[in-house]
Amino acid sequence: MAIQTLDRTAKQVVLTVQDYSIFAWRSLMNLFRPPVYWSDFLMQSDIIGVGSISIVLLSGFFTGAVLALQSAATLSAFGATGVTGRFVSLTMIRELGAVLTGIMVSGRNASSMASELGSMVVTEQIDAMRALGVDPLRKLVTPRIYATISMLFFLTIVADAFGILGGAAVTVFLNHQNGTQYFSMAWESLFFRDIAQGLVKPLFFGYIIASIGCFYGMKTTGGTQGVGRSTIQAVVTSSVLIIVADFLITHVMLSFWPS
Amino acid sequence: MSLSLLTEFEPLKDTMPVVEMRHVTISFDGPPVLNDISFRVAPNETRILLGPAGVGKSVMLKLINGLLKPDNGDVLLFGDQISVMPEEELLALRARTGMVFQEGALFDSLTVRDNVGYQLIEEKKLTNEEIDAKVQESLRFVGLEETFLLFPSSLSGGMRRRVAIARALINKPELLLYDSPTGGLDPVTSTNIISLIVKQRDVNRTPSLLVTHRLQDAFTMCTHRFDEEKGEMVPMPKGETDPNTTFMMLNDGQLIFDGSLHELLHSENPFVKEFLE
Repeated sequence: MAIQTLDRTAKQVVLTVQDYSIFAWRSLMNLFRPPVYWSDFLMQSDIIGVGSISIVLLSGFFTGAVLALQSAATLSAFGATGVTGRFVSLTMIRELGAVLTGIMVSGRNASSMASELGSMVVTEQIDAMRALGVDPLRKLVTPRIYATISMLFFLTIVADAFGILGGAAVTVFLNHQNGTQYFSMAWESLFFRDIAQGLVKPLFFGYIIASIGCFYGMKTTGGTQGVGRSTIQAVVTSSVLIIVADFLITHVMLSFWPS
Repeated sequence: MSLSLLTEFEPLKDTMPVVEMRHVTISFDGPPVLNDISFRVAPNETRILLGPAGVGKSVMLKLINGLLKPDNGDVLLFGDQISVMPEEELLALRARTGMVFQEGALFDSLTVRDNVGYQLIEEKKLTNEEIDAKVQESLRFVGLEETFLLFPSSLSGGMRRRVAIARALINKPELLLYDSPTGGLDPVTSTNIISLIVKQRDVNRTPSLLVTHRLQDAFTMCTHRFDEEKGEMVPMPKGETDPNTTFMMLNDGQLIFDGSLHELLHSENPFVKEFLE
């Protein structure tokens, strides 16, 4: 009995991975064959990009601030509080800016995509769209994927910038250190490899968020309860995959540009 | 009432069946929902598919439109084998059919205008003014011109079905598929919907397949015709039935009946008898 359950689960996992791979690949490739729904791309960019800016801005600012608070306490033991700017900027740009923005956008948009598409599936709107001769993958999924990739790139830059500003606010107003020193340390310690690492990651994270959100939405079964289940699965899976992908990308990029 | 839908409609000219199923079987993680189903829909024919709830009637409609793929057997739509057809080719073929879903399946974030004109908007062949005119014409056919700018959430259940019918008709389909168009509606609204379907059948002569579990609707379809002069559905003379309207019945995944109203009423099949009683 246990072996049967294990066998069934293993098959289910393999099938899901196979379905996801086909789904994600087709959605990505749709950009290179007409029709391409540019107006839907712009609309989704507005919903995902402009709609997420406040949460990204706030989370970036306070993450930078808390990094400055924590690091100053440790660095003061070595008499190195002057390098707080370097610590905050490198941490934000190489890691936290991209990962935090990815997780925040995942919570907001992967859930919204899964629930929106899931509701359309259970009310037969997706079938109606196919019956009317329109490919839902092209119309609904591809614009969301490209909008998330491009918007996450810019949102990460915003999070990085506000993170450094948050660190500066704490350094100047709470730790009473020199702001010019903070910014010059933050600037001088940055190299191309750091910026590249920080800006390559959101491209992958954006793809993960949108493809997972849409995949679970389009695979919804079981009515409104199923929509709730898809939403949870989309957020959990995309958040975990972002962290796993972050490790893999960091590992690969460090092998190209060792610190 | 607008009859311009009639003038622009071009029915299939040959005698090839519009739809044909050959030994079709489909299952979903269990015993077959449909098992070895074969039937045809001829040009100008209206077929009514009867059967209890959950017997696979909607699945059959989705198979015909290529929204589902059979495990075994062949499905031919307009003579093309669609069981193995790639999705991209199917999309073009589906655009030649009109389908009315069980709950209407209107896009809730779009207005009635955008719902009804969806196919035309996506095709990008017409100007906005031309699309508006076609949408108005289609809404006039179902008597809902005043809902042009409303959202589906502000419509009643019956109105949503009528909008769904208008959406299915707008592109002059060569085949109409109705999935329980009167399900969950009150008797008066149901009769209005059936009247529209009869009007579509008699005015445009589009072949169609209608799924229902309501015997009253099925018999009304067969015993009534649309009077263009009166602009309403009227009963046919006593004893007469529409010769192009025939019946099928599904039970336990099998097609247990295929024939005329007369044959249905005199069937010896125990399930058919029980269903009719």
